[in-house]
Amino acid sequence: MNQGLSRWLPFEWIAALRFLREGWMQTIFILAGVAMGVAVIVFMSALLTGIQTNFLHRVLNAQAHIVLQPPDEVARPLWAATGAFADTALQAPAQRLRSVDQWRKIAEQARAMPEIAVVSPLASGAAIAVRGDASRSVTLFGVEPGTYFQIVKLPDNIVAGQIRLNSDDVIIGTDLAQDLGVAVGEKLRVTSGIGTDVILTVTAIFDLGNRSVNERNAYIALRTAQSLLNLPGGVTNLYIAIHDPYAAEILAQTIAGMSGMRADSWIRTNQQFFTAVNAQTLTNTVIRLAVAISVGLGIASVLVVSVVQRSREIGILRAMGARRGQILRVFLIQGGVLGLLGSFIGSALAAGALVGFHAVSRQADGSELFPLILDPLLFLAAAVLAALTGILAAFSPSMRAARMDPVVAIRG
Amino acid sequence: MVSGAVVSGTVADAKVVAGEVLRLDGVRKAYNPGTPQAVEVLHGIDLLLRRGEFCALIGPSGSGKSTLLNLIGLLDRPTAGKLFLQGQETGLLDDAALTRLRGRSIGFVFQNHNLISAFTAAENVMMPLLLDRGWPDAAMRRAAEALLDHVGLLRWKDSMVGNLSGGQQQRVAVARALAMSPVLVLADEPTGNLDTKSADDVFTLLREMNLAGGTTFLIVTHDPRLAARCDRIVEVVDGRIVADAPSGYSAARGGADIRTTG
Repeated sequence: MNQGLSRWLPFEWIAALRFLREGWMQTIFILAGVAMGVAVIVFMSALLTGIQTNFLHRVLNAQAHIVLQPPDEVARPLWAATGAFADTALQAPAQRLRSVDQWRKIAEQARAMPEIAVVSPLASGAAIAVRGDASRSVTLFGVEPGTYFQIVKLPDNIVAGQIRLNSDDVIIGTDLAQDLGVAVGEKLRVTSGIGTDVILTVTAIFDLGNRSVNERNAYIALRTAQSLLNLPGGVTNLYIAIHDPYAAEILAQTIAGMSGMRADSWIRTNQQFFTAVNAQTLTNTVIRLAVAISVGLGIASVLVVSVVQRSREIGILRAMGARRGQILRVFLIQGGVLGLLGSFIGSALAAGALVGFHAVSRQADGSELFPLILDPLLFLAAAVLAALTGILAAFSPSMRAARMDPVVAIRG
Repeated sequence: MVSGAVVSGTVADAKVVAGEVLRLDGVRKAYNPGTPQAVEVLHGIDLLLRRGEFCALIGPSGSGKSTLLNLIGLLDRPTAGKLFLQGQETGLLDDAALTRLRGRSIGFVFQNHNLISAFTAAENVMMPLLLDRGWPDAAMRRAAEALLDHVGLLRWKDSMVGNLSGGQQQRVAVARALAMSPVLVLADEPTGNLDTKSADDVFTLLREMNLAGGTTFLIVTHDPRLAARCDRIVEVVDGRIVADAPSGYSAARGGADIRTTG
């Protein structure tokens, strides 16, 4: 008998748990409320994090973290001997396809930097791909497969053929292949802007999940590109991958300062994405805060009612020797337990919803909308925050109970 | 000042009456003191309760009985005067010490039993021991079972108190009041909500407990029939003790300490 009462379990815990059990209807309703709140918070957090992670993964696997290219050519005014402008009319110059000056030296310097993982030279320019009567404008990417494919994970997105880039090979996207009616092993003619042309064999077809990329990008060997674009030994860009992608902008500025090159980080080129991420994060934070406040108010209201309902019992407990601090803790514990239990149930609901949503939601290309990441830290944080919210919410009713005059309380 | 034989000096006061459990010297109680709305409800109460007394506190509604009981129960503090419990002046104690003294020395029985509904009968009886801390589980259980056995409710020990009848609940409350073996039990209309038979049973039980353990009982009642069964009757009217005399029942039993104050 009386297994519930033991000197090893403090009175506060026993009373708190018994009160919750006795008012089981209230307890169930508020637990459901807390659980729903926690479920919304956990689900939204996991979903948003997953979608952002997925998007980042896609972006970071399809482009360099930093792209180095020659600075834009600018027209300089002609100075007169007197120091005044000889001619104030300036015409913006056309940007020629130029090689990065001393690119090998710059690449070596970059490779020596500890933050940098991979440097890959690239010769890129416009061309026309022709097969039979069909022709399409394309962007040629002359690459060194060994380094380039460490930055852009093209091999992961090959849908036909095999990755191979010898001097007369080309890898094209699914949409270009369809437009030109070309398959793996078949040939097409590529003519550059300066009129040189070459016959290339399609060795693989990729699908990067982006129609314009699949229509326009054509990957060939670096030397072939240099020849086609009239850049003997030269490259138009240096692609750089770094260990910490979020340090790209700072590092880009450092490299630009060192080399005099133009350095664009993926952060700058995807500015809209970051704006969207920030807006999403802010919205998510506001929603989570509102839900957390609702949960806290729910717990507080239930405990306020409980304190009123139990005022006589509080009075008699005080008369029997219960200290104010003990009464305070009885209700604080109830708040904490409601928050904690609610968070367990809510986390389970959120996990179930995430699994279900992950199973049914797909991107346009059929791939998963977001990676299913059930991070234990997220659930732990939810539990801790919910328990703290419960305790915080319980504070006011608990103080009311603790301050209750036993005489008044017993009289009811 | 109360009368009585001075036997020794103790904790806080040099003059302690032999067998003294409770002493009130010129106790006054005012609500909203120091304000224009100040109302004094007790006007200099002197009272002495000795070990083993079974005393009734009577008086009309609004006479100050409940206020006096709250002061004696250390649930409230007097505005003036001194209150001694076992020779210790309670006015010198802080809230925590007062709470501790109350828990260990005074048992309460209320009109509405005021049991904790979330606990069983035995757990309610064990509650004062649990609050006192340090009691081994087995000792708490033994004490609760012995008391429930004494009040005839051992077979109901594991019942939630809400499932017991009014009379049974009040008997559980009596057992709980005695759990800490207090020197003083205060009962505020303990039979007020019971039918005649249950009221008689509970009163008899209180009396048995008093005779068996030597615990002092102070019982507030409106029922002259029950008051007459006490050793002593103290009557309060308009915040003053107007009569303090042995009852006929007590006289028939051979008498007890008889004093008249006020």
